[in-house]
Amino acid sequence: MNFLVPWFLLGAAAIAGPVLFHLIRRAARERIPFSSIMFLRPTPPKMTRRRKLEHFWLLLLRCLCLLLLAFAFARPFFASKTPPPVATTSDHQTILLVDTSASMKRAGVWENAVSLAENYFANAAPGDQIALMTFDRQPRAVVNFSEWSSWPVNERAALARERLAAISPGWMGTRLGLALTSAAEQLLAESDNGKTPGRREIVFISDMQEGAKLDGLQGYEWPRGVRVKLEPVKSKRATNAGLEIPNAAAISDGAPRIRVASARDSQTEKFRVNWISENRNVGDSMEIYVPPGQVRTFTAPKIPASLTQAQLQLSGDSETFDNIAWFARPEASRVTIAYLGSEPADDPSGLRFYLQRVFPDTPGRQVRLVSPTNTSDFSGLLKKSAFAVIPKNLSAEEIAAVRDWLAQGKSALIVLTSAAMSQTLGRLAGLPDIQLTEADGNYALLGNIDFTHPLFAPFADPRFSDFTAIHFWKHRRWEIPAAANAKVLAKFDDDSPALAELKIGKGRLLALASGWNPADSQLAVSSKFPPLMQTVLDWSGATSTARFQFSTGDSIPSPALAGNGSVEWRANGKTETLPAGAAFTKTETPGIYVATFGGSEQRFAVNLPLDESRVAPFSPDDLARLGVPLQSAPELSAAQIRERETRLQNADLENRQKLWRWLIAAALAITFGEILLSGRISRRAEKIEVAA
Amino acid sequence: MPSPPSITSSPGRREETFADPKALMAIRNLELRARVVVEGFWNGLHRSPYHGFSVEFTEYRQYSPGDDTRYLDWRLYARSDRYYLKKFEDETNLRCHLLLDQSRSMSYGSAGYSKADYARTLAATLAWFLNSQGDAAGLITFDERVRDYLPARHRHGHLRQLMLALEQPNGGKETALAEPFRRAAELIRKRGLIVLISDLLAPVDALESELGRLAAAGHEIILFQILDPNEIAFEFHQATLFQDAETEREVYLDPEALRPEYLRRLNEHNQQIENACRKLGVAFHRLVTTQPLETALLDFLRRRNSRSKRVWRQNQFAPSP
Repeated sequence: MNFLVPWFLLGAAAIAGPVLFHLIRRAARERIPFSSIMFLRPTPPKMTRRRKLEHFWLLLLRCLCLLLLAFAFARPFFASKTPPPVATTSDHQTILLVDTSASMKRAGVWENAVSLAENYFANAAPGDQIALMTFDRQPRAVVNFSEWSSWPVNERAALARERLAAISPGWMGTRLGLALTSAAEQLLAESDNGKTPGRREIVFISDMQEGAKLDGLQGYEWPRGVRVKLEPVKSKRATNAGLEIPNAAAISDGAPRIRVASARDSQTEKFRVNWISENRNVGDSMEIYVPPGQVRTFTAPKIPASLTQAQLQLSGDSETFDNIAWFARPEASRVTIAYLGSEPADDPSGLRFYLQRVFPDTPGRQVRLVSPTNTSDFSGLLKKSAFAVIPKNLSAEEIAAVRDWLAQGKSALIVLTSAAMSQTLGRLAGLPDIQLTEADGNYALLGNIDFTHPLFAPFADPRFSDFTAIHFWKHRRWEIPAAANAKVLAKFDDDSPALAELKIGKGRLLALASGWNPADSQLAVSSKFPPLMQTVLDWSGATSTARFQFSTGDSIPSPALAGNGSVEWRANGKTETLPAGAAFTKTETPGIYVATFGGSEQRFAVNLPLDESRVAPFSPDDLARLGVPLQSAPELSAAQIRERETRLQNADLENRQKLWRWLIAAALAITFGEILLSGRISRRAEKIEVAA
Repeated sequence: MPSPPSITSSPGRREETFADPKALMAIRNLELRARVVVEGFWNGLHRSPYHGFSVEFTEYRQYSPGDDTRYLDWRLYARSDRYYLKKFEDETNLRCHLLLDQSRSMSYGSAGYSKADYARTLAATLAWFLNSQGDAAGLITFDERVRDYLPARHRHGHLRQLMLALEQPNGGKETALAEPFRRAAELIRKRGLIVLISDLLAPVDALESELGRLAAAGHEIILFQILDPNEIAFEFHQATLFQDAETEREVYLDPEALRPEYLRRLNEHNQQIENACRKLGVAFHRLVTTQPLETALLDFLRRRNSRSKRVWRQNQFAPSP
């Protein structure tokens, strides 16, 4: 029999306790009063054989109980007859997982990492297999197992060193979770190939910065036998802070907001930011305070209005790799809405008066409502427009032009301000049978709204879904023919369509059976009107929520206004042409990326992710908590490994046999017996005392 | 005059009808206990050791010069012209003092009650019995000195007082016979009966001298030695600490080894007491607490009976005063 935790057997020494207490108790308790001891002379205490025997059983039970408990705690098990498979040291598989994220650019870090990796190459046994992987946002295989095996044994280290020398840290963020799981999958794939390696190990060479993303590790089931060994590399300098401009579009008064993160081990909290353009300081500088380990948001100094792009520089820390944030001034997208009516813009009884006030200018967008001045201008205006609003009857030519325009994939809103618009609606929709009639009654309310449609989805929350306060004094009743490719989005309480979507070629036509002018309804004065019109504009695709700030490794979507042509991307002296619609993915370095299309250009800023600035190392416990099977840093000798494996196997055996349960049960049974016996003895003693 | 009870009947047969001491001790009231014991002896009678000229005529004696002329039977002189003296049996009440040991050694008991309980009941029984006979009973309780003293009287309420005194708990410490006996001798001036109830677990020398002094004073002495069965048999088996009830001294003893010696020394002690009693003409009775109390009463009566006869005979042949 073996024991998993043999030092618990020392607990058996506790049986000295009962023996001692036994004796002390007896001496203290048994005292017989007697009338007179004048005929008695003291005798020296002498244990008679009878007395020893009388207590022997109780003592035996108590000692046995303690012994069983000590045995149970020592976790006994019967060793299996088959010896544990002893791993041979000749066929280890090791993946060196080297961090090449931007934080490795810190002084001395990469050099340390390289020398650590080179040690592994140099110390590899001929039977060992080593693969080299690097990772930042993505893991990359540099040397794989088959390559390593195919190299001559005496050249392996040199060849691998050569490959490693060609690598240097990039500008990407760190996705550690993905890298570790990929490496583990590769080890698993190797063993699935029929190879049964002795030891499978991932050697993780990294600065282990706390900004690394560990997602993907949670819930990942690690292959059995794969161990991760951490080889942390440290920077000589401690203080570091980084900055980012989270949303360049949210610039107010020429001063964008910035986020500044300071590493947990920073030794200072005072930093300074200032704008740089063409290697010159421009504008004011600003002093900021960020305590170690925290992220703070500030409004940056104003950027001179003349600059479309600039760099915001942070100074005051000892690491410089993350001290520049690139800024590209977002260009407001100009959206033209063709308002195909003729009423004056300042007439509060018309529709236009309210519509143009719904779309105020923002730094990212300028919306213009334009009406055609003459018929010849009509087609030209439509071509420039992203959306159209039709508030009145159109001529046959105008209808044809709008239909052609819609068929290209555009959207328009027809506001049925009178029953006389049947013809225009019918022709536009290609449904000549449509008849509009003026509805009777006092007013109508919106009865049934399809909140699943993108137009009404923002109002789906019960807090915003109440449209019953909007009275429609007048509306037009119509019926959508069954043949029509249409969808009713909202109905009046008389069950006639209030808002319907009709498909015209690739385009879409929204038909509103009432107007928002005060004569028709309260819609324009409702708080629902501006968000509804914004949603209509967004839904039509006329505007795009363009981003101008990206992180390294992100792909930049093709500019929305690029049309069908090609886009030329320029950055860091390189040029690449991509078809419009294809995202640009090679954002490997921070900087300004310029997309040129059809004579206009758009600038995008690509920066280091802010997490990369949080360079204080995380605790290995964080990995252990996520289930990563860590191996302690000092290399174990073969004997130690064997011992550990034996220990693990013993623990497994013990866990399966669970002999301790039986011992505890026996101890309980003995305790019960002890209680019975001691009860009987004490009863007998009481009898004797009473008799005495 | 009531006839004396049949005290010569076989004690063995009588004991069967006696109350079990254990059951008896369960009765809390001491007086009641005494009554139970005395039941059956109601008609017991004592003769006074004193003879005088009182109520009961016994004989005529011819006058001789020097006799008290008060006792001349003038009627007989008138009839026979001779001087005769009338002699009467003096039926004065017996004066009995009960000397009760209340030392702490008496508080020992293994039968469910202590020797003191037993002794108290015995004293109460005798007191009741004497009282019911019209005799005067007194009480002296003692430990190392005299605690309570009630003179021998026969009057209303005296028995009740005596019972109350008997019911006092044991307060004393050790048994020292010399001092209480000396004091008793001082207190009991008139000759009478002295009943000593004690375990006599004290040196015998003092007992002998003090008993001798009392006997010399003309008292008739009956001695009851009360012992516990455990004291007689010493049936202990486990070696353990024994605590002296009087001195509270603790000694570690192995009873198995000590028993023979203990029994030998106890017997020697008892033998010495018995010898002393025999020498002094003191009636000695050893009572084990498991023995029915009636046997003690029986012994008492038997002793009294024989004594009264002896006194009678002694008086009969004594030279005339």
